[in-house]
Amino acid sequence: MRMMSLYKDKDTIIHKIDPLNKILYILASILITMLISDFKILTLTLVFSFLLLAIGKVIKNVFPIISFSLIVLVTIVVIQGLFNPNNKIPLFNIGQFVFYKEGIIYSFLLILRVLNILCAFSLLILTTKPSDLIENLVRRGLSPKLGYVLASVLQIIPQMLSTMDTILDAQRSRGLETEGKLIKRLKAFIPLIGPAVMNSLISTRERAMALEMRGFNSNIKKTFLNEHNETSMDKLIRYLIIALIIFTIVWRLVWLK
Amino acid sequence: MAKIVVEGLKYRYPLSQKLALNDISFEINEGEFIGIIGANGAGKSTLCQALTGIVPLFFKGDYGGRVIIDDVEVAKSNLSEISLKIGMVFQNPFTQITGSKLTVYEEVAFGLENMGFEREEMKRRIDDALMLLDLYRHKDKNPFDLSGGQMQRLAIASIIAMQPKIIVLDEPTSQLDPQGSNEVFKAVSDLKKKGITVIMVEHKVEKLSEYADRIMLLHDGRLIDFDTPSKIFSKDDLKDYGVVEPVFTRYCKKIGLKDERGLYPVTLDEAVNLVVKKREHNS
Repeated sequence: MRMMSLYKDKDTIIHKIDPLNKILYILASILITMLISDFKILTLTLVFSFLLLAIGKVIKNVFPIISFSLIVLVTIVVIQGLFNPNNKIPLFNIGQFVFYKEGIIYSFLLILRVLNILCAFSLLILTTKPSDLIENLVRRGLSPKLGYVLASVLQIIPQMLSTMDTILDAQRSRGLETEGKLIKRLKAFIPLIGPAVMNSLISTRERAMALEMRGFNSNIKKTFLNEHNETSMDKLIRYLIIALIIFTIVWRLVWLK
Repeated sequence: MAKIVVEGLKYRYPLSQKLALNDISFEINEGEFIGIIGANGAGKSTLCQALTGIVPLFFKGDYGGRVIIDDVEVAKSNLSEISLKIGMVFQNPFTQITGSKLTVYEEVAFGLENMGFEREEMKRRIDDALMLLDLYRHKDKNPFDLSGGQMQRLAIASIIAMQPKIIVLDEPTSQLDPQGSNEVFKAVSDLKKKGITVIMVEHKVEKLSEYADRIMLLHDGRLIDFDTPSKIFSKDDLKDYGVVEPVFTRYCKKIGLKDERGLYPVTLDEAVNLVVKKREHNS
């Protein structure tokens, strides 16, 4: 089954942590990296995130996500190294381009921030089943309708893409040329998108009726098939993260004075 | 007491000039298996939607007459409430999968969660529904990984778990291969044995004649006839309504083989019995 998700199904302690705690961890990670500009602390938090990813057995899967943002990271080094307004001490040069120490140091700080946030996000998306995450949010007050939209999109979009492939094959078999120059491809787009959109509209209408027949718009308070037992460990982790967030904010305010 | 009473039902879709349903009245008793036949555009699907409240609660438009299920007038109720009395299965198995659940088991739970059932009750109902539709061994599979027939049975299981007393099926086998169709027919006949009223739109008239107690013939939004399969398929003017009789009936019509009531057989068994009887009589 094709699904739009990076989730890796493994049996580890990280996978069992309440999804809300992982969201809080992202929040903490963003706050800490934005409020603190200390190399040691940021490196420490990054190492900690990597440690959590390693315990979750998903460390291999985080590298493609990082490499995806590699161009941005390299661009940061180049631009800051060359053009940071505080640049004074030349560090090295490539041809006639001089890279400065201040800019390079600042760019490394930015890179650390980006990596910290990326790793925290990866921890959530690689170790949390999307349906668990959404169900957790619905339990905590997210509208069940919005929850349904978020959950269904992950499975229905790949289904729509495979319908699109069928339409593509059908139109090709009738002689539609879909490969070649850009203009040819653009021309081929119209006979493809028409049936695809109509097909989706019809499916959506039928699905809406089918959902209605299963109490989708019911005013009764929703119940859940899966039990949700919040362990004392989950609570402890939550309080720790919240304490860390508060501590960071207070520390930053005091430090600024 | 009749379970479903329809009185003078009329309906016109928004932006349409023509009546999709024109003055339809009938009664259906508890536990009956009703087949609905007719040409394309006869109003079969619209009638199903009117029985389940989708018309006029989902599709607006001009609506007249009454549909009463268990003393409740459908048009004055709401769809969630009606869904506990009458369930509906649609043509396309794929569009009936919610898409938000990852296993067959959770998929069946979707409606029950929406209706606020307790967890234990939910599990009991899901187990029963999956057993009845012979899907229990697939309970941990992703719904989209099932075959067409299995997916359609899952759609039926999801409706059955809500424990409605009536189930309406709108051409549930039209997109399935012969094996998938057989699976669905077997499942539906099991539902009838459980005392559930079944109303089924179907073009496979051979199968329908085998299971249905009565058949409703629709044409141009009007109810032409509503009687036993033999009486309906023995009619001479079926062609005018765009309906073809079962192959056994067609054969017997051609050779003029009728039973003592003057009706043609509609199933293979009836035809064989009649031929054997005639042969014995002749010898």
